[in-house]
Amino acid sequence: MASRDILHQLKQRFGAALPRANVAGLDRLYVFVTPEALKDVCQFIFRDLDARYIISIGADDRPYSGKFLVAHNFAFDARHVLCSVLTEVNANGGRPQVPSITEVVPPANWAEREFRDLVGIEPVGHRYPKRLVLPDGWPEGVHPLRKDVPHDFCPPDYDENRDFQFEAPPEGCVVVPFGPFHPTLDEPTHFRLYVEGETVRGCEYRGFMAHRGIEKLAETVLGYNDIPMMAERICGICGCVHNVAYAQAVENAAAIVVPPRAEYIRTIMLELERLHSHLLWVGLACHIVGFDTLFMQAFRIREPVMWMAEQISGNRKTYSLCVIGGVRWEITPELRTGLRQVLDKLEAEWQAVVAAVSRDRNLQRRTRGVGIATPELVKNAALIGPVARAAGVAMDCRRDHPYAAYDRVEFEVIVEHGGDVWSRVVVRMKEVFESIKIIRQCLDKMEPGPLQAEIKDELPPGRFGMSSVEAPRGESHHFVITGENNRPRRWRVRAPTYQNLQGIPAMIKDQQLADMTISLGSIDPCFSCTDRLEVVDIRNQQTHVWSQEELVRLARRKT
Amino acid sequence: MSALSKLKEAYLCLKAGRVTLPYPARPQPVPPRFRGRPIFDANRCIGCAGCANNCPAREILVFDVCQEIRILKYLGRRCTYCGRCADLCPEKAITMSKDFETATPSIADLQQTLELFMSTCQRCGRCFKEPTPLEQLKLKGYRFDDLAHDRWIFRSKAYLEKDQVAGDIDLELD
Ligand code: SF4
Ligand code: SF4
Repeated sequence: MASRDILHQLKQRFGAALPRANVAGLDRLYVFVTPEALKDVCQFIFRDLDARYIISIGADDRPYSGKFLVAHNFAFDARHVLCSVLTEVNANGGRPQVPSITEVVPPANWAEREFRDLVGIEPVGHRYPKRLVLPDGWPEGVHPLRKDVPHDFCPPDYDENRDFQFEAPPEGCVVVPFGPFHPTLDEPTHFRLYVEGETVRGCEYRGFMAHRGIEKLAETVLGYNDIPMMAERICGICGCVHNVAYAQAVENAAAIVVPPRAEYIRTIMLELERLHSHLLWVGLACHIVGFDTLFMQAFRIREPVMWMAEQISGNRKTYSLCVIGGVRWEITPELRTGLRQVLDKLEAEWQAVVAAVSRDRNLQRRTRGVGIATPELVKNAALIGPVARAAGVAMDCRRDHPYAAYDRVEFEVIVEHGGDVWSRVVVRMKEVFESIKIIRQCLDKMEPGPLQAEIKDELPPGRFGMSSVEAPRGESHHFVITGENNRPRRWRVRAPTYQNLQGIPAMIKDQQLADMTISLGSIDPCFSCTDRLEVVDIRNQQTHVWSQEELVRLARRKT
Repeated sequence: MSALSKLKEAYLCLKAGRVTLPYPARPQPVPPRFRGRPIFDANRCIGCAGCANNCPAREILVFDVCQEIRILKYLGRRCTYCGRCADLCPEKAITMSKDFETATPSIADLQQTLELFMSTCQRCGRCFKEPTPLEQLKLKGYRFDDLAHDRWIFRSKAYLEKDQVAGDIDLELD
């Protein structure tokens, strides 16, 4: 039993520093450690046992245990175990402190800054504890994810007009602002690039411009079965992924067994989503480098997939597929036939496109050797998904931590070794065929049966659940602590871009400024909506950041 | 090699031809399971508030005017067309219509208000001593925030501002 083995190893080494543990099955492990030992345990897991870092969670557990909770999640891919290292932190009069693990586990950087902002747990020893998520004008000492803060609270001393303090650029570099609303990247994110000549030497990232407070809503307003519909709206493309991941996390926590037919339907919808996401991304990547032919063709081929999704679920994109314990939409025999036809046509057409594109030298010149992620970077920034697979790291949650019906279908994990943007294009082009294969197998194997498990009792409070789902752009990870009032006590979503973005500074370092867009585009970044704009007047070199009022006025002006 | 791939690409484009649909010049039929905006049927609704309590967007509000009249209001502002309300309605009083062209400058075009007649105790003519369905909901944790809002069924801990409520509802009762 793999999770027991790992616990055994930890016990042997750290003994009394692990007061309790919960082996929640073959593939889930929850270990409580004392705060003092946290760093060593994480180092041991991350370096010696070679686990992959997933995410850190901070939670306000004061109403139940009087303490704060910090969890660092790791994945043992080869041993198929998801492991959570939990620490209870003394409330310390509302100023809890926990030792930072970033020194030994560098990818925990953002996650620690995030729980510092949102829950107010201070990561002691963090090298760069700058504000990450909260808006610039938010006062110190107010932490929105604490239980005593209402979900619609806006502090009275919130200063809308305060500016964000950027770091000074290094010697000899000029600053080039990149985004929000860059001509080739219409996403709400701001990179401050330090450029020397034409070469990018570094950058500072400022994102989280439109924080939607979804986790807080789930903890205070919505119920278990409302959240899937909202989780779906976390991302415009991998919506179904979050929907399934959340449902699975709760099912994992409450030990609900999903009927097999529902599992197959989940798998089919997830793969349909991967199909249209990959087609979309390959199109967009080509659009970024100015190759619009493929952009058009990819979108043309993608459209029947969307129509099929619409026939199955009633919507092109937001499928509203899962509720806890099952799915809502049935795949009837007619839909099955329709789906097969769509897949056959898609396969033939995509083969033609891949054959035409794979030798295109212009495209390769623009993407080879650009935005390189090495296997070391993959480990140290915890990169995932196609970015990792293109760097020769074979990781895929579908295989490593099987969920839904993935343990009953056969597919290959596509791996390339270039680590550059071209390898990512190749990986994603090839994965389309794997998805087609998976859907076909599911259609063959689907068993008759109910769509939803019957849930008679209330879900038990205070249980942990974890679920990883392979989204088209990487692994989405959901962590749930179940709670009272028909809603989770804590729900943490880690979307794939959250980790992949942290690798961007290393990927763009020392390369041409012009390659910045495709490097960033190659991780398939998925931000959110934005609310600010900087204008540079080229005549008198004045910059001006538009405030929200000005923007609203501008938008409403009658032309 | 590159020239050949360019030729192949050109062939692909030519073969595909024109694929753009003539929408909106010609209306586009939707598949049978399509979920457009929900339509409420006042004749069927029993005022159980199941839809209101399960709407992820909190789009449906239930409001008691007196012992006998319950108002159910669909706000139509941020409905996600998920169809949970239609799923959960015990009387199938909600249909997810095929209506997706809902752009309008006036939100009232989308809103629906049902006036429902509820029953009172036939013996004494007053409300029940036993917990009414409304009170039962309250016992289950549905929040009515204060006296002025005691009439609302709304599970969130969100505080509805007094004047905002009036604006939301815009009830014209004599
Ligand atoms: S369709 Fe969904 S969001 Fe709209 S009213 Fe019904 S339950 Fe609410
Ligand atoms: S669930 Fe149906 S019957 Fe109950 S209040 Fe809503 S519309 Fe009426």
